[in-house]
Amino acid sequence: MSLRIALVHDGPPLDVDLALPAGEIVGIVGPSGSGKTSLLRAIAGLLRPRRGRIAFDHDVWLDTAHRVDRPTRERPIGYVSQHYGLFPHLSALGNVACSLVGLPPAERDAQARARLAQAHVAGLEDRRPRELSGGQQQRVAMARALARNPRLLLLDEPFSSVDRSTRKRLYVELKRLHAELAPTVLLVTHDLDEAAMLASHLCLMQRGRIVQHGPVREVMTRPATSAAARLLDLPNLFEGAIEGTSAARRLLFGPHRLEVPDSGAFAAGRTIAWTILPTRVLLHRVDRPSHGERENPVPATIADLVVLGDDVIARLAPEGMPQARLTLKVSQHVAERNALAVGRGVTVSLLRDAIVPLDAKEPGAA
Amino acid sequence: MRRRVLAALLALAVPVGSATPSPAPTVAAAADLRFALAELADRFKAATGREVRIAFGSSGNFAQQIENGAPFELFLSADESYVERLAAKRLARDAGVLYAIGRIVLFTPLGSPLRSDPSLADLRASIGDGRLKRFAIANPEHAPYGRAAREALEGAGLWTSIRPLLVLGENASQATQFATSGSAQGGIVPLSLARAPEVARLGTAVLLPETTHRPLRQRMALMRSAGPVAVEFYAWLQTKPARDVFARHGFALPGEG
Amino acid sequence: MDWVALRLSLALAAVTLLVLLPAGVVAGRWLATTRSRARPWLEALTALPLVLPPTVIGYYLLVALGAQSPLGGAFERLFGAPLAFTFTGLVVASVIVNIPFAVQPLQRAFAAIPQDVREAAQCCGLTRWQAFARIELPLAWPGVLSAAVLTFAHTLGEFGVVLMVGGSIPGETKTVAIAIYDRVQAFDSAGAGAMALLLLVVSFATVALSYVLSERWLAPARR
Repeated sequence: MSLRIALVHDGPPLDVDLALPAGEIVGIVGPSGSGKTSLLRAIAGLLRPRRGRIAFDHDVWLDTAHRVDRPTRERPIGYVSQHYGLFPHLSALGNVACSLVGLPPAERDAQARARLAQAHVAGLEDRRPRELSGGQQQRVAMARALARNPRLLLLDEPFSSVDRSTRKRLYVELKRLHAELAPTVLLVTHDLDEAAMLASHLCLMQRGRIVQHGPVREVMTRPATSAAARLLDLPNLFEGAIEGTSAARRLLFGPHRLEVPDSGAFAAGRTIAWTILPTRVLLHRVDRPSHGERENPVPATIADLVVLGDDVIARLAPEGMPQARLTLKVSQHVAERNALAVGRGVTVSLLRDAIVPLDAKEPGAA
Repeated sequence: MRRRVLAALLALAVPVGSATPSPAPTVAAAADLRFALAELADRFKAATGREVRIAFGSSGNFAQQIENGAPFELFLSADESYVERLAAKRLARDAGVLYAIGRIVLFTPLGSPLRSDPSLADLRASIGDGRLKRFAIANPEHAPYGRAAREALEGAGLWTSIRPLLVLGENASQATQFATSGSAQGGIVPLSLARAPEVARLGTAVLLPETTHRPLRQRMALMRSAGPVAVEFYAWLQTKPARDVFARHGFALPGEG
Repeated sequence: MDWVALRLSLALAAVTLLVLLPAGVVAGRWLATTRSRARPWLEALTALPLVLPPTVIGYYLLVALGAQSPLGGAFERLFGAPLAFTFTGLVVASVIVNIPFAVQPLQRAFAAIPQDVREAAQCCGLTRWQAFARIELPLAWPGVLSAAVLTFAHTLGEFGVVLMVGGSIPGETKTVAIAIYDRVQAFDSAGAGAMALLLLVVSFATVALSYVLSERWLAPARR
């Protein structure tokens, strides 16, 4: 089961070719202007790309080569736009009923009420959209989108206009709805953390192109390209040459020579871009002396220290590389135990399996 | 239900006025006939039980409209040439008949500084001493009475000096309306209008000699589309009772010098 | 009081409205949503009657509708009656003259409908007609009312074009506005005054009614 999308468009620019698993929540993340909303609209049929093919399983919704273009109303989708697009002149019940026009009035009414109840806004049936809070409006929009039992639910930044506490509750409701109804969900958001929380599959977009996509954990811990790493806001982006034999491959990091696995990515003689997650930079405990056998030890000085909630983010200047910065993230408890402070010297390990090679050339799927 | 609404809409689109079976014929009449012809139409109705609908305006405008297909069945012009033109274009059945000779008057409204001088000497003086600020005549371009007024003024050598002070009426009625309204100090208007009680009580009128302008030979003719009622009215207007009415309204009758 | 003229004026206003409102809705909606490059030109065309003096419009209409024109001639051959100087001719003239009064408020009303509301209608599975009837038209309703009132009131007051294209034929083209003009020339100030007052009252009542109604319907939205 899958959703296959191939699109090329000019204004706004889009160049996408992807297959997504059905039945999951897919997060589409990228900066503004990256084409996320346009992609969603194209899938909905609100934007007609210059060239493209969209198919859900064997159901072809768009095929420009064969002049197939199913209108939006015939695609089994539900759509919640950024400001919800609720019909201002109809009540909440009326809004949801619009998705059910094919049904006889009594049944339409009953189903609309059921959907509103499912979305936790029962009791607000007769209210107009302007009489509803932001969170309530979002739920009504969601009920309206789900009323037709869509196979694909398209959500365009649905949580951006609500306050934090409402947002948390809406996250939970979305997960529950998804568990109950199991449509494929495409969730567009600029908030990576939100996507990480809700989605099981992640797509990174930039300038109309998919930079990387795959299961969430994989994309977030193993970016494939520098572009992906930048989109994920990873701080440790370095370049280094690779030398050595297949038995002893080394990545040069300033004066340090880091052990790396013997794989195609680490071909000798190449210069590659690489990264390491701040959470994978291992801090040597000060109360235990470092042993020579620890992998890739790098002595460094703490250049600055920031406490963010329960975490401490430290930027280190590796020995021999006073201008470089290696970012490390540990819990506050670990930071206190090791008495981290600016100016102190520490040693960290950059484990060979934590070093992620980045292909500095064309962005592509992992 | 939808079909009934559609039918109603279509029915409304069809001309409203012409939907009635053979309505009263429309007569185009020069503005100076306003009071005379109204009375004549009433008498015609009393005598024959039949009605006519009259539209008053300037003869020139009517000639234009008839050339553009206006459905008038009878045209009473204040000038022969318009009727002759229509006859030449076969829009009129024939060149028609002369039904009246018109006269013009100098009209001064109540309270006007002008004096009722048929020689127009006082008018000349009033231009000079500034008493005259506005003077009303019908538009000489298409109203015969305006043309006659112009000729009278040109004959008295006043045209150039009075021209900047002129207020032009669309037709002879409007000119009379301007002349009586008080916003002009006077005007040259048809005798037939000045004699009417509604106008006469608003000021003084003095007849200007016939020699001061080309004769206002008023001709009428049946149009090509004329129906029986129009034909009957046309004939009736030439009978003695009708001619008496014309005479009473200040028209000279043709054949009586 | 010329009741025939009054009836004629009201009939002209009503028929103009019946013809122009549906056409205006279609045109206004198209202008509001189209991305065609011809749009500014078409908008200028619909605004033209606003800036042209009635005599210019009247002149061209006479040329186009008069018995000598192809259109007028054809009409006369088909229906036996001429187009100019008839009620039908007045309706044609009135419709043309009122195009901006009907189209512009409607265009504004349809354009005011947010794009995401329009798209939501499609995403709900509504057909084009259902989306129009259930979503767009109710939201554009104040524009429809505005267009109707403006067209009706403007037609009642139309003078120059009516005079040129219709003449002043009693029972056919002599509307109240023309009748007032005629009464003045007949030195019947009482008659003219009575009709002028009636026209003033009717026009004011029409316009006031529309403002009251739109206030009643739109006021809740402003809360």
